[in-house]
Amino acid sequence: MEVHEWMIRYTRQTEWIDRRGIFLWIAFYAGGLGGGLYLVSLYFNSLWGMFISWLIIAVIKGGAHLIFLGKPTRFWRIIFRPQTSWLARGLIFVLLFVVFTAIQLVFSYWLPGTAGEIVFKVLAGIMALAVTVYTGFILNTVKAVPFWNSALLPVLFVLCGILGGFGLSVVIALNGGHVDIMAAETGSRWLLIINALIIAIYLWAAANREPTGKQSVIEQMRGSVAPIFWIGIVVLGIIIPLAIAFSSYFVVKVESALLVTGVACEVAGGLALRYCVLKAGAYKPLVATAH
Amino acid sequence: MRWGMVVDLTSCARCYACIAACRIEHFLPMGMSWPRLMALETGGDRPVVSTYSVRCNQCQEALCIEVCPTGATQQRADGIVWVDQDMCVGCRYCIIACPYQNRTFLSRDKDKGFFPGESLTDFEKAGKILYAHQVGTTEKCNFCAERIDAGLARGLRPGTDREATPACVNTCPARALTFGDLDDPNSEVAGLIREREGFQLHPEYDTDPSIYFIDGKIGYADTSD
Repeated sequence: MEVHEWMIRYTRQTEWIDRRGIFLWIAFYAGGLGGGLYLVSLYFNSLWGMFISWLIIAVIKGGAHLIFLGKPTRFWRIIFRPQTSWLARGLIFVLLFVVFTAIQLVFSYWLPGTAGEIVFKVLAGIMALAVTVYTGFILNTVKAVPFWNSALLPVLFVLCGILGGFGLSVVIALNGGHVDIMAAETGSRWLLIINALIIAIYLWAAANREPTGKQSVIEQMRGSVAPIFWIGIVVLGIIIPLAIAFSSYFVVKVESALLVTGVACEVAGGLALRYCVLKAGAYKPLVATAH
Repeated sequence: MRWGMVVDLTSCARCYACIAACRIEHFLPMGMSWPRLMALETGGDRPVVSTYSVRCNQCQEALCIEVCPTGATQQRADGIVWVDQDMCVGCRYCIIACPYQNRTFLSRDKDKGFFPGESLTDFEKAGKILYAHQVGTTEKCNFCAERIDAGLARGLRPGTDREATPACVNTCPARALTFGDLDDPNSEVAGLIREREGFQLHPEYDTDPSIYFIDGKIGYADTSD
């Protein structure tokens, strides 16, 4: 007789990362990156940064979300039920961000310095923060997956998004955008260090919370996800950008190509982080006797 | 009134009749199964195969209802949790949230037909009319709510009268499945739970499942936790 081991051992979640779930991974990351870039662009008052963040969220995040849904034409049903879940609230944040930022961009381009511009900058900024943080809440409210059940996850996603935002603002600065490249570099340096620390604390806490969380951490560090964790998060996401960021601190002039490489690595690291978090999420065995 | 089920783990004969009955009752596509039979070997050199018949637990505090962003997953007054296919947007949040992994997303590749590439069988054609499944939505066991409702309308008693009882319970030749009203202390299910120490799966999630298991090791608290 064939032995069916479904849910007898730790079972990895697949719906939100395998096959079409890849689009949700992209949407989650694009939300963090776009929101983070908008917040950084607000700080630098970079119109290009705001426009690019709007494009990332409206086109990449919105598009990926719609492609992921089994019935995309029914997406409007989600918007009218904010009381239900973070998924519903998140899509409302996305829609409001797209609307507020579009209006703010119009004000900033044609009517700069008006009260309207300030009001919509504030509103879009709040929505940008909400878009950056809500994916963390979506995951950390899932009781069934202990690896995600951490208050650190929303914090990590926000910081990762802002880090990506600082990175992209460096690229905008290199292309003549209105960004203080030194300030962007400094922001990147600090966030890289803080991010690395939070990732380490997050994994340590998950491993010590309960056996299923520990299993997820083991999967991430030694299992099938390990190459993405070590190469994507550790090497590309932390070590290389940190090395470039610190070299820019000590060296007077850093090659633009090197800075762009650092930013590309940061983005790859952010994508890898979301991928690993989604991929390593696992359920407790249904039958405890199988151990 | 709260409909519930008791699964006798020692009686299950691993015949898969419950799964076949459900497939017939609901015209399930080949890639989907609402109830599932889990089998595992224990015992090392002299392995013993244990079997567990699992399906949606119809939790009273259902996590899938909490997270559903459209309200497609709903709970009836009798405790049955069901999915309104016309409202489901296919976000799979309910699948993610269910600690028992008893929901399935009906993707296109799960609905290729009994004989892919060939024309539909008469059974499949009938299913398209009588029990249409929507690709791109989530599905799960509903305790054969349509049978219960039709039976009650005729004055029958679910769990006692076959025509008002879930198909898997009716078909189980080993009588491993028992159905009835958990709120009625005189019902057979309430008696089994009381007398044979029925237990629920993963009680630590506080979901209060409506399916109880008796005479087995399944569902014991994960001692490694």
